[in-house]
Amino acid sequence: MLKYIIKRILMLIPVLIGVSIIVFLIMRVFSPDPAPIVLGQHATQEAQEAWRQAIGLNDPIYLQYWHYLKGALTGDLGTSYYTKIPVVKEIMARFPATIELAVVAIILASLFGILIGVVSAVKKNSIFDNAGMLLALIGVSMPIFWLGILLIILFSGTLHWLPSNGRIDPLLQPAHVTGFYLIDSLIAGDSGDFVDALRHLVLPAAALAMYSMAIITRMTRSSMLDTLGQDFIRTARAKGIAEGRVIFRHALRNGLIPIVTVIGLQLGSLLGGAVLTETVFSWPGIGAYTVTCILKSDFPVVQGVVLLVAAIFVLMNLIVDVIYAFLDPRIKYAKKEV
Amino acid sequence: MKKIIALALAAVLFSVTLTGCSSNTAGNNGNSNAPKPSDTLIYAQGAEPRGLDPALVDDGESAKVMSNIYEGLLKYNKDSTKVEPSLAKSWDVSTDGLTYTFHLQEGVKFQDGTDFNADAVKFNIDRQLPPKVTEDMAYASFVYGSVKSVEVVDKNTVKINLTAPSTPFLSNLAMIMAAPIVSPKALQDNKNNVNQAPVGTGPYKFVKWDKDQDIVLVRNDAYWGTKALTKNVIFKFIKDNSARVVALNNGEADIIDGIDATVVKQITDAGNKIFQAPGMNINYMAYNTSRKPFNDQKVRVAVSQAINVPELVQSLYKGYSEPANSILPTFMEGYDKSISQVAYDSTAAAKTLKDAGVTSLHMIAYTNPRPYNAATGQVLAEAIQGYLAKVGVKVTIDSFDWTTYKQKVKAGDYDIAFYGWIGDNGDPDNFMYLLSIDDPTMNIARYKNPQFNDLIAKGLKTAAGADRNAVYTQLEKIAAADAAWLPISHAQTLCAYRPGVQNFYFHMTGITPFAGVSKK
Repeated sequence: MLKYIIKRILMLIPVLIGVSIIVFLIMRVFSPDPAPIVLGQHATQEAQEAWRQAIGLNDPIYLQYWHYLKGALTGDLGTSYYTKIPVVKEIMARFPATIELAVVAIILASLFGILIGVVSAVKKNSIFDNAGMLLALIGVSMPIFWLGILLIILFSGTLHWLPSNGRIDPLLQPAHVTGFYLIDSLIAGDSGDFVDALRHLVLPAAALAMYSMAIITRMTRSSMLDTLGQDFIRTARAKGIAEGRVIFRHALRNGLIPIVTVIGLQLGSLLGGAVLTETVFSWPGIGAYTVTCILKSDFPVVQGVVLLVAAIFVLMNLIVDVIYAFLDPRIKYAKKEV
Repeated sequence: MKKIIALALAAVLFSVTLTGCSSNTAGNNGNSNAPKPSDTLIYAQGAEPRGLDPALVDDGESAKVMSNIYEGLLKYNKDSTKVEPSLAKSWDVSTDGLTYTFHLQEGVKFQDGTDFNADAVKFNIDRQLPPKVTEDMAYASFVYGSVKSVEVVDKNTVKINLTAPSTPFLSNLAMIMAAPIVSPKALQDNKNNVNQAPVGTGPYKFVKWDKDQDIVLVRNDAYWGTKALTKNVIFKFIKDNSARVVALNNGEADIIDGIDATVVKQITDAGNKIFQAPGMNINYMAYNTSRKPFNDQKVRVAVSQAINVPELVQSLYKGYSEPANSILPTFMEGYDKSISQVAYDSTAAAKTLKDAGVTSLHMIAYTNPRPYNAATGQVLAEAIQGYLAKVGVKVTIDSFDWTTYKQKVKAGDYDIAFYGWIGDNGDPDNFMYLLSIDDPTMNIARYKNPQFNDLIAKGLKTAAGADRNAVYTQLEKIAAADAAWLPISHAQTLCAYRPGVQNFYFHMTGITPFAGVSKK
C-alpha cells in the first residue's frame, strides 16, 4: 500500500511537467500581449519592448520555460506581472478561502446527496423518489450564479438573515494561523468571529453544494439500485437482519465505491475554484482571481494556479483510490495487480 | 415501521434541504449585517485595486483608495478640474515657463511620523525620472515627462525645472497617479514599492488589505489639515453588479459605484439615493480621413448631419450620458458655449451623399461596454446604421472584442470607427491633442491639419488663463468644422448611497475623498 502511494505521488512529476508545458504554451500563444496591460495606456512602444526584454518575454520559448522550471523546482513560481507580488504569496492569500468553501460545500453535498439517493433507491418510484430526482434535476440544471443571486435576494435582500458578500466582517480581525477563518477563530476562542465567518459561509456553500449534491444523489440512487437487486441483499433480508442495517451496512457500503469516486472528483473541481459562486458572493477564492489574471495575461499567476489545480486532482484521485481499499477489502494495490 | 422511518427521513431531508440554508442562523438576526455604527463608511467597488503605490498603478480602483491616503503638491477643486494648493501652499512660474517654484506647507508629517519636506518631494519625483524610472511606472512619463531636474532650495521650497514650457504640468501635479507624495522612508523600507504598505500625508491611514475582500483605512489623527469626520473607511470589492446593489439595499455597504440605468429604480425604491455627476470623458465616432470617401470634408459633414445625436443619446443611455456638443466636457477650461457641432439635417445629408455617390460604408465597432459607452460600440454602431439607412447609405458593421478591436483600429481598414477617451489630468490639451498625434491608435480619424497642430503647440506654451482657453475654444471650432469626429456623448458617473450618508462626491477625475463624508 505504502509503495503504491509513493509510486502514485511520484507520478505527479510527469503530470505536472506535462501540464506546465501545455499551460505555458497556451498562455503565450493565445493570450494578448501583457505589456500594454501592465504598462498602461500611456506606455510607448519602446517602453513595452524594454519591459518585455527585462521580464524575459523576448527569450526563445524553451529558454523561458527552462527558467520557469528552474524557479518552480525551488518553490519560486515567479512574480505577478500586474501586482508585482510573488505568485506563491498571491495564491496563498486566496487558497484557504477556496478550501474552506469547497470542504463545507462537499460535506453538505455528500450528506444530503447520499441520504436523498438512498431514500430514492429504497422507495423506488414512490413520491419520495420522484421528489428526490426532481430536486437532483433542478440541482444539475439550475445555473449556479442564478441560484446564488436568488439566495442573496431571499436571505440577504428580503429576509436580512445573512450577509450577501465576503468571508467576514472587515472590522473583525481573526488572527491568521491557518487562513481558515472557522478554524482560526476557534483557535483564538473567539465565538463572535466564528459565528460571523459561519454566517458568511452559509449562502455560498449552499449554492455551491447544490450541483454536487444533485450528482451525488443520482449516483447514489443508481448504485444503490444495483446493489439492492443483488443476491446477498436478499440473503441478508432472509436472515432476518433489520432493514435499516441491510440498507446502510450491506447495500450502501457495497454501493459506495462509485459514490466516493464522484465525491472525490467533485471536491477536486471545487478546490480548483468555483468561479461563478466566488463572483456572485464576492468570495475571495482562487477561481474568480484566476479568471481576472487570465484576462490580464498575467502568465505567472495562471501557470501557478493551473499547476496547483493539477496537483489537487492527482492527489484527490489518489485519495479516492486509497479509500476504495478500505471500502472494499477485495481491492488491493499490491505490485502484481497494479 | 419501515415505511414510517422512510417517510420521516424523506420529510426531514426535504425540508432541511430546502430551508437548510437558514435553519442554523435565524436566531442571529441582525448581527453583523445591520447598518454599521456611524463611525464606519463602507464603499463597495467592482474590482480590487492593482496596488497602492501611486507610481506603480494606473487603474481607477486604486485611485479611489489612494485619494484618501495620499496628497500631492496640488489638488483639484471639488467641482472642476482647476488646481488648488495642497501640500504646496503657493507656487511661482518663471516668465519663460521653464521653472516652477513650490512653497510647501510646514509641519506636515507622513503617517509613519517622518517629516514631509522638499527632500521628500525631490525623492518622489526623482524615482520617476531617468535613470531611476522603471518601465512599469505607468504614469511617470505622462506626469513628469517634461521635468529636467528637481532642486531643493530649502527645507520648505522646491524648484522644478522643465525641458520645455508645459502648462498642463500643474494639472499633472494634482493627479492621483504618479503625483502624490509617498514617505521616502516607506519606499526605502519596501524596496521602492509601497503597493502593499502605503504611507502618505493624507487624512486616512492604511490598516489592512485582505486580498479580494477589502481594504480598511483609519482616520489619521495627526493629519495637518481638517481631520476626517468618519473614523473608519472600508473599501469592499464586490464584482457582481446585482450583488453590489443588494449589499447597498441591505445596509452592508453605504456607497456603491459602477451602477447603470437598469438598477436605479431598484435602488431608489429601497430608499437610497443616486449620485449623478458629469464625467471627464468623450464617446465619439471617427471618420477615416486618410482615404475615400471621408478624405472629403463635405461627406463627413453630410454623415454627421444624418445622425440625430440628442435623440440617439437619450435612447441609448436613458439620460445617464449628456449629448456632446463639444469634445471637451463642459466643466473643463477651454469649453465655451459658442462651440457647436454639425446640426441634424437628414434632407441635406441625403442630397450631399447622393451627389458624392456614397451608397455604402464599412464600420468597425467594439463589443465590450466601456466607461464612456455603457451600451457598447456595437449597439451605438447599429443605431447609427439605422440613421444612415434613412439617407440611403448601406452600412456593414464588423464587431470585435476590445483587444482585437484595437488591432483593427491600428490596421486602419474602416470608413468609420468608434472610440472614446477618459481624461487624465483635467487639462484641455489632454483631450484636444488626440487629433494632433501621428499614432493611429490614438488619432483614429488619422486627422492631419498643420494649423490645428500649431495651435496645440501654442496651447502647451501659453500660461493658464483666458488667452489659453481661447486657443482650445478655437481648436474645438476647427474640429467641429472639419468634422473628423462626431462627438456623441459624455458619460456621467453614477453612484448610489444610503440616505444617512452626507457630503459624498465622486470627483470627475475618478477619486473619492472621504475626509468630509459623514454618516448619520
